[in-house]
Parts: sequence; structure tokens; C-alpha cells
Amino acid sequence: MIRSRSLVTAATGLALGLSAPAMAASKTLGFVVPSWETATYETKYYDECPDGLAIGNDELWWKGLSQRDKDVLTNGGEMEPVDPPRRPMAVLRGPKKEDVCWNPEIVVDPPQRIVKGKFGYGMNLDGTTDGAATPKSCKHEKFVTPDGSTYVDNQMYRLVGCIYGWRKGNYVEAHADRERRDSSVGIILIEVTGVDDEQNDPEVEVSFHATRDVLYKDINGAILPYATFRVSETQHYGATAKGRIVDGKIVTDPADIRLPLYGHQMTGDMYIKDLRLDLPVQGPADDGPHLGMIAGYYDFDSWWDYTRRLESLLVTGQWSCPAMYVAAKQLADGYPDPETGECTAISTAMNIQVLPAFVVHPDRETADAGSAAQ
Amino acid sequence: MRLLNEAQFRRIIADVFGPDIIVGGRFDPLVRSGGLLAVGAGKTSITGSSLERFDILARSIAGQVVAPVRRDWLIPCKPADATMADPECARAYFKSTGRLLYRRALTSEELETQVQIAGDAATNLNDFYGGLSASLAAMLTAPEFLFIVDTTEPDPNNPGQVRLTAEAMASRLSFFLWNTTPDDTLLTAAERGELHTTDGLKRQADRMMTSARFETGIRAFFDDMLAFDSFDTFEKDGLIYPAFSLAAANDAREQTLRTLVDLLLVKNRDYREIFTSRETFVSGALGLVYRVPVADPESWSRYMFPPDDERVGIQSQASLVALRSHPGRSSATLRGKAVREILMCQKVPDPPPNVDFTLVSDSANPIYKTARQRLGAHSTEPSCAGCHKLMDPIGLTFETLDGGAQFRTLENGEPIDTSGELDGIKFADAAGLGQALYQNPAVPSCVLNRLYNYATGRESNLGERDWLIEQEKQFADSGYKIPALVRRIVLSDAMYAITPADTQLSGQPGTREENPS
Repeated sequence: MIRSRSLVTAATGLALGLSAPAMAASKTLGFVVPSWETATYETKYYDECPDGLAIGNDELWWKGLSQRDKDVLTNGGEMEPVDPPRRPMAVLRGPKKEDVCWNPEIVVDPPQRIVKGKFGYGMNLDGTTDGAATPKSCKHEKFVTPDGSTYVDNQMYRLVGCIYGWRKGNYVEAHADRERRDSSVGIILIEVTGVDDEQNDPEVEVSFHATRDVLYKDINGAILPYATFRVSETQHYGATAKGRIVDGKIVTDPADIRLPLYGHQMTGDMYIKDLRLDLPVQGPADDGPHLGMIAGYYDFDSWWDYTRRLESLLVTGQWSCPAMYVAAKQLADGYPDPETGECTAISTAMNIQVLPAFVVHPDRETADAGSAAQ
Repeated sequence: MRLLNEAQFRRIIADVFGPDIIVGGRFDPLVRSGGLLAVGAGKTSITGSSLERFDILARSIAGQVVAPVRRDWLIPCKPADATMADPECARAYFKSTGRLLYRRALTSEELETQVQIAGDAATNLNDFYGGLSASLAAMLTAPEFLFIVDTTEPDPNNPGQVRLTAEAMASRLSFFLWNTTPDDTLLTAAERGELHTTDGLKRQADRMMTSARFETGIRAFFDDMLAFDSFDTFEKDGLIYPAFSLAAANDAREQTLRTLVDLLLVKNRDYREIFTSRETFVSGALGLVYRVPVADPESWSRYMFPPDDERVGIQSQASLVALRSHPGRSSATLRGKAVREILMCQKVPDPPPNVDFTLVSDSANPIYKTARQRLGAHSTEPSCAGCHKLMDPIGLTFETLDGGAQFRTLENGEPIDTSGELDGIKFADAAGLGQALYQNPAVPSCVLNRLYNYATGRESNLGERDWLIEQEKQFADSGYKIPALVRRIVLSDAMYAITPADTQLSGQPGTREENPS
């Protein structure tokens, strides 16, 4: 299929009674983001995790039980503890049986095992090569991309890269991704306006929206390109960033962006400060997804608000809420609190898969729409 | 005499008993004759197995009608005792409901038969409503209900000749304009003899054509003319055409019907503009196929294709280019044939039985990369060339729209040539084809003939040729407006004329005989 964006944009304008010349002044590109995951660098033999994988909540819970409690749960050692009492009980490790995910500082767990490797993916958010403190960042260790070309910041990878459930393809992110694709909830839209040249354009504007429209799929379940999505009417999302197109790639200046988040039947926000986008305008010839990246400083409170609610996954994912919380606080590298100096955001990078789509605004008289030419 | 088609059956049930009555099951396909199912319906009989299905359906509908949740508003009286027969209440019910189902007042014998059936069943079942249900089910399988009967009577203005009864005229009007049974107002007008007067007929025609139901009638006509029953057995290979889902197929049919209603009824435009207009409607599923934005993906949105787009006219919509293709590849021949036969009413001979289609169907042929090249090689065979000349120069213009109705410029890496020709007019692309259709006199003539045959339920005969020629002239003079054409047809004597082939004088007053078909 070959259809130029100018054609599509003009068509939209005509359909809505706009004059073609007015519309021809610039184009709009639309994308839907049905899939994303934390950008991680993983090796077959866990070289990046020399201390091993993170200790799971189950193990910590079990070690903290009295022999009497263990006997009750195992019928005197004759059976494994069964799920129904184990799952809800295992997080109640506080002195007064408090939930340790909702009260992560109420117990002190052994430090979480984190990534100590050299390589990682992401973007250079602080502009340094050594991770020295800047007015907008705390001192931290940088990663270098595997090709050695770029020093990048991705403390989120450092935090979750050695957690079994968070590693590539495992339950925490992979299942949430499936849920989003199956339910069409938590789908992100990217809209690029003011495009005069798809190859090199010094000035475009990039908006990030939510939608409640469904993803169309083919008979194999693959999401189809060129569907229309209406921008969700809520004002909560829709922030914009200045950007440009450089050699066929859309890149943006840092901007604070709130993105919808859904996974494991829970909704939330990804509030990412200094978010940047790196996305090719053109996708592969077979209409498959374009691969791009979003990076920025994930606001700690926004991140933890969602992550602490993942406690039902502790058994599958194998981590400790208190240990993760402490580690995350220590690894946070962005937006130091002016009073305490403690950083309030953690650098992150996400690989995104996007498909060309039409983004329309029901609240406007005009429907801005676009798609990537192929 | 014409058998009700599925759409008519469902609409009658909804109109008489309410839209919440579930009409399950499948109907036997009708035979297309003279390009129309409506004509084929006059040549169809009911088989034993078909009657059995009608019987099951009738019992189901009747059961729903008398169900406690509906009986109070569908049955105008209450029995003195619900465990016993109540002839008076049953009579009142069948007198009113039977009139709508048989599309005329029941004769006294018919009415008493229904009352008798209801009474006997009620006594056996100890249930008045059970009895009513059994009797109603019998009505719903009666020939008087399942067949639209052209009853006749002596014509007082032409002694020795016959004419349609006013009730038969009402049915003809109603099924043409609304695709359903006559309503009470129309039947009352018929019973008062108003349909046999010019003013009375005009009053009813105008009332019906300004009703919202007129759109239903026009949609039914075009659904028949465009042979959209082919969608019922339509398949696409989802791996080859991933965007062409079942939803897209259903919406393709709807898109064309919406476009026609909008252009021809709402905007009262020249019929020929349906081949040149870029105005249409799109749904979310079709937006994926056409790769265009949709204002509301959960509904239908107006859309206008831009001037340089390949899609122009209904002939470039998925309802033609995808429907008239193979499951896994496009077909210039099927598309050209559809234009000739459906839009221009020209018969293209069937292929001879010994044709070798191997080359034509080899869409991955490394030498003949495009359909034009493959058909060119295939048509060198004399037995094929004659017919392909009629179809391929039309169909090849659509080749930039693949079998799933998606736009492309290349086939197997080779640029697609969209030039074509229609009856001596050459064109470069789909827009040119649209103009050629616009200018071709066979096109308006076709829709006129189809409309007339659809209205009368039979193919026109030689004796009607002069009248049809005059109608063609008037159609042109009116700017090819479909509503005006429909009005001229329904107000014409021709629409209610009795042709020798299907005429039989009815019997004595009080009895009714049906015309054999």
C-alpha cells in the first residue's frame, strides 16, 4: 500500500469542508503505540547481574515465619503452602501484619540486587558522560550503548534488570503488554503536526494522547495500521513537545509528559519529566510496526503509585517491595529536591512499537489526521 | 405471485409484531432472474424442507407474540378465561392482525377457520394463548402470507377485462416503496377504492414516498439490483487481505447503500453521479481498508475522497472491487462483468466449459506480472477474446485496487496501467471510467428497467417497450432523478397492468383466486 500523507490530509480536509490549499501547508502524522517495554540489555548468563537475581518476597516471607506458622501452612511439613493463603499473606510482613508494598519502609529487607553491567540502552538525559551531578540530576553511573557510541541514563533498567519477573518476555511487562493489546486500554497516541518535510523538518510539534478506541487486529491478532483513534476527551493527557525531523527520525526536545498506563488490570499514569521521543517516520515495507524509543525521568511518586499495586505479582515476579523501594530511592537520578537534594525521578527508557494511525479530535471541528508514507 | 424474501419476511414481522421479535434461522436463497431476485421470487416454489423451516419459524414467532410480556399490547382483548377458548377475542385478534399478514381483509371463511383452529387448540391445551399461538403459526405458513398474490377482479371500466384488486395494488405499492406489508392507512385506502382513483393513488404514493420507510424500499431495490446477496457467501483470505475483515465486508455493503440513499434520495442528485461522485460514508472497519481517517470509528462518518484519489463512484467502492474479486486476488474480468451486467444490464456470455484459466489465475507469474499482461496472453485464444473485450478494458481500470479493495500502484513490482475503454470511450483511470459510465445511455436505461421490473415483480415484455422508451425520455428530462422516476412508475397504469401471461380472472365476489405464475 502506498498512500502519501498529503493525500490523506487533503482528504480529511475535504471531508470536513476545509480548503485543500490551507491543509496543504503542513501535514499531520499520527501513530498509535500499542506496545512498549523498559529498554533492557540482557545477557544469556546474567553477566549484568553478578550478584544474581533479586530475592523474592516469598523467600523473605518464608524465612520470617515462625516454625509454628510454617507447620500450619504445610500441614506439618507434608505439603507446599497453597496459593490462597500464601499470596495474600506473604505481603503482610510488617510488625503488625502490615502490607509491605503499601508500607515499604516498615521493614528493612536485604538490599535489592541490581544491574552492575556496563552496557545499557536509553538516551543521554543529563548530557554528561560520567554521570556527575548537574542542576537537574544526581550523581549516578552511566551506561554505554553496546556499540560504544553513547553514554546513556537508564536507572530504571539498573533497578529492574535483575528481577526475574521484569526481565524480557517475563510476566510483569509482557503480560501487561498483552493486556493492553487485548483490551485496547492504556493505548498511547502520538500526533506530529506541522510537518513540511518528512525527511528533515526543523520544527514540528509532537503531542501525546490517550484514546478509548479499540485496536483493530487481523486474523492472526496483529494490530492493523491506519486505524482511526479519537483523542480521549480528558485534559489529563495531550501535552506537547517541540520537535524536529532529522534524517527521517522524529526527535523531540525534553518536555514533561503524562502518558496513560494500564497493565495487570490496573490503571495509572506514567508521568515522565524531560521526556524525549526518537521515532522513525517510515516503518518497514511490510506494514509492520515502527520501532522507536521514549526516554526521560519517570516521576518517582507516579511510578511507585502503580508499582506498589503489583503486589499480586510478587510470587510470579520475585521481588521485594521494601527492597525495590529503597533501591529506587537510591538510584533516582533526576530532579533533585531543592531542600533535601534527594532526586525525585528516575531515568528510564522504553522501547516502543508504533503503527501509523489517524488521530482525530472529536472536540474540534477539524479532524487532524495523518499516517506515515511507505 | 411472488415468494416473500428474507428481508421482507423479517420486516413484516417487525412491523406487525414489533422489532423485538426474534426471527431466527436461515431462508432458502432465491433465484436471480432478469438481474433481480424480486423477479426470481415469482419463479420460486417452496420445497418440503423449506416449508418445515417456515413452520418452525412460524411457531417460534407466534410463541413470542403471545408470550406474557407482549400479549397485553399485541392482543387487543383479554379472554374471559385464559384456560379456555374465547372465540370472540380470537376473532377480534385475527380480524386485525390477519388483515396485515394477508395484506387484505380475511374472508369470513378464512376468519372462522382461524378462530376454529385457535379454539380447538385452546381446548386441547387448556390455554387460550396457546390456541391463539397455534392458529397464528398456521397463518404465518399460509400461502396467502408467504406469497405476494396478484389477485384480480373484473375491471368495471373495461368490460371483459380484469384489473388488480385494490389490495393487490396496495401490496405492489408497499413492497416496492417500503419493502414490507401495507400499513393500515394504505389498506384502508384500498378498501375504500381510493387506489383505483388517480387522486387516491397519488395521495398514498406521496404519503409513502415522504415516509422514512421509503429509504428502506430504495435500499432494498439497490441491494437487489447490485446483487449484494453475493455478500452472503463472500470470502476473503485474511492472510492476503488482513484489513478486509468480516466487519469490513458488512460495512462495504452498507457503505454503498448509504451513499446511494444520500445522493439519490437525500440530495436528489442525477442518478449518473453515483459513478462520478467522491462523496461517501466510511466506518472504522472501512477506514482501515481505504486507509482514511474516520470522524467516529464506532459509527458512520461522511467522507469525500480527494480529487486525485483512485476512488470515485460506487464502482470503486469495496462492494464492487472486493466483492467482484477472488478470495485471494483481484479480477479485472469479474469487475468488468459486474459493470456490464449489473450497472448496464448487458448480458456477458458465460465462459466456454473448456477454458484454461491457469495463466489468468497465476498472479505470481514471473513473466506476466500484471493482470493486464496475463489477460492479454489469455485472450489471444479466440474462444476467449470476444467476451474479454467486453469486460477487461473496464475491469483493468480497477487494478490499482487489489482484491481487498486496498490501493496499490504496483503488481509484482510492475507499475499498474489503469487505462481502459467503454463502448468506444477511452480513459486513463477510474475517474475516466466514471465519466464514461455517466455518459453511457445504457446506464440510466438499466436502472429504469430494473426499477420497473422490481416494482412489478416480472420482466417487462415487448408490449411495454414503447412505454419504457417514453419513461427513458422523461427520466432524462427530469435530470435522471430517482424519486421522480419512482413516482412516475407508481402512478402509471403500467405498474398495475395485468399481462396475459400472469392473468387469471378472480372468481365470484367473496372468493379470491390467485394468479398462477
